[in-house]
Amino acid sequence: MHEMQVVKIKKIIKETKRIKTFILDLDVSAIPGQFVMVWLPGVDEKPMSVSYTKGDLGITVLRLGDFTRRLFELSPGDMLGIRGPMGRGFKVYGDKLLLVGGGVGVAPLAPLAEEALAEGKEVTAIIGAITKSELLFVDRIEKAGGRVLISTDDGSAGKKGFTTDVLRELLEEETFDQCFTCGPEIMMAKVLDITREKKIPTQASLHRYFKCGIGICGQCVLDGIGLRVCKEGPTFRDKELRKSPEFGRYWRNAAGQKIYFGGKK
Amino acid sequence: MLEVELCGIKLRNPTMLASGILGTSGAALKRVALSGGAGAIVTKSIGLTPREGHRNPTVVEINGGLISAIGLANPGYEEFGDEIRVAKEGGVPVIGSVYGFNFGEYAAVAETLQKYGVDAIELNISYPNVGKAGAFFGYSEELSHEVVKEVKKRVSLPVFAKLTAGAGDIVAIAKACEDAGADAITAIGALRAMKIDLITGKPILGNEVGGLSGPCIKPIALRCVYEIAREVDIPVIGCGGITTGEDAVEFFLAGARAVQIGTGVLYRGITIFKKVSQEIKEYLEENGYSSVDEIVGLALR
Ligand SMILES: Cc1cc2nc3c(=O)[nH]c(=O)nc-3n(C[C@H](O)[C@H](O)[C@H](O)COP(=O)(O)OP(=O)(O)OC[C@H]3O[C@@H](n4cnc5c(N)ncnc54)[C@H](O)[C@@H]3O)c2cc1C
Ligand SMILES: Cc1cc2nc3c(=O)[nH]c(=O)nc-3n(C[C@H](O)[C@H](O)[C@H](O)COP(=O)(O)O)c2cc1C
Ligand code: FES
Repeated sequence: MHEMQVVKIKKIIKETKRIKTFILDLDVSAIPGQFVMVWLPGVDEKPMSVSYTKGDLGITVLRLGDFTRRLFELSPGDMLGIRGPMGRGFKVYGDKLLLVGGGVGVAPLAPLAEEALAEGKEVTAIIGAITKSELLFVDRIEKAGGRVLISTDDGSAGKKGFTTDVLRELLEEETFDQCFTCGPEIMMAKVLDITREKKIPTQASLHRYFKCGIGICGQCVLDGIGLRVCKEGPTFRDKELRKSPEFGRYWRNAAGQKIYFGGKK
Repeated sequence: MLEVELCGIKLRNPTMLASGILGTSGAALKRVALSGGAGAIVTKSIGLTPREGHRNPTVVEINGGLISAIGLANPGYEEFGDEIRVAKEGGVPVIGSVYGFNFGEYAAVAETLQKYGVDAIELNISYPNVGKAGAFFGYSEELSHEVVKEVKKRVSLPVFAKLTAGAGDIVAIAKACEDAGADAITAIGALRAMKIDLITGKPILGNEVGGLSGPCIKPIALRCVYEIAREVDIPVIGCGGITTGEDAVEFFLAGARAVQIGTGVLYRGITIFKKVSQEIKEYLEENGYSSVDEIVGLALR
């Protein structure tokens, strides 16, 4: 049973202008890629990937709309409700790993990098953001011993362009046993196209609107495959996602209506 | 041995998916039929216009069950045809659940779902968490009668009325529905309940109160089925807290012809329908019965 646990915020770390990490007074052992439902009493409850998976639980949040704006107003000592960790985390195979993260999508990839490096695996991470000051967890992954390649939309750091541009170039030179990706869905769809050509098995962490978070309401189910993002996901294998006509094309709002990425049908 | 017939609809086994569990998505309904093994599937309750439902938290787990307040979220009947088409690929009967804020809405949505090809209509007059919809009708004999009558005028399919134990006299409501032409009664829906967090002192659910479901409501549901089955001639479908074959058998003994399972999916996964069916079969075999029908209503005699 996933009872709601109300816990204190121990520490808040400002990662970038728009991203903060909240370290909670909650001892966990989560698998990277799993998520928690975060309740801000009286406001709302939303899914967040676990960004610190051992010891005190951490989540890393991008300020976007009302809920995250309210989260950003909190201080250490304030309370949050947590259900979880839940869902299926990433499963690591092989010794040479490639991570591709865009924006706050790096949140579940950083603990994956740390764990894999601690086990003696080789990790290369491609990290992208709109601009240099919004890059997330570059130092964290480098400190753990990973190699980091960077892209920014405006060219203020690393390659000017997208993570997928860096990915394409890298795969001309090298290959990997496994790829893991999290970020905007259009980006992940492109990553899957590229790694498919190079025959690199890939896992992606998906984002859908969540209500129950425990696999009973049906809100987050993917068309074509009928899998629940909150239960069988949020991480999926490339071969599962390719069977869903929904992946990379649309998601469903709170009413269950289809909303197409980029506004087109 | 497990086949049953309900208002002329043949079910390969007597386990049905209850409304509102995985039911907004055709792909999920199909999966519940194909890998889950359900004998029939009921869609999420569909209304006239799209609804986002209540704010999160929409569910809270408690000892023995779940309190939920999704708030009748649904994409509206116009967009739901696609989902029903996909759900039907599951190869089992699809029952379209309908809610409304007035008689006309119930009738209009039911008529459209019939056009989409559902096998029966279930009228949600049981849902307790949205003001003047659902249980608002199910609390009153007069309004229940009127909803069923208006819908029966517009559709030719079997119509089930899904009742709430929140009504003062659920047997009187069941009779009112039978009089109005209902073809079956589903009993029961979730019961009004709440959960307060001790640290913040606040109700956890976004809607503050929600509907209680799961094993903790089973004895109430069973009592309702027993009392209704004693008084009406139309089939009764049992719902509330069923997670095992033994639970289902209890409902059959109390007079139910089939059962619906909702929250049980949380405890035993999507394949709960297969598991419960197998357990029902074992009970029948061990006790020398050759069909579910043979044990329906034994406790009433
Ligand atoms: C498995 C999973 C892991 C996530 N991990 C992170 C994370 O580590 N860091 C992070 O910053 N964000 C994460 N998110 C996204 C997060 O849940 C919120 O969607 C996001 O923070 C929007 O916040 P908002 O309500 O302030 O913005 P809003 O302006 O209200 O919403 C912006 C968009 O967020 C999405 N959204 C809104 N409500 C929900 C909801 N209940 N469930 C899912 N999506 C919703 C919608 O697409 C909406 O258009 C994750 C989502 C999922 C499903
Ligand atoms: C998350 C959730 C959503 C529900 N939505 C609906 C609904 O839309 N329409 C309806 O008639 N019943 C709805 N119900 C009630 C169930 O169909 C069922 O009657 C109730 O949960 C009792 O059965 P159970 O204990 O097997 O879950 C919902 C229940 C849950 C838990
Ligand atoms: S959010 Fe309810 S099934 Fe996934």
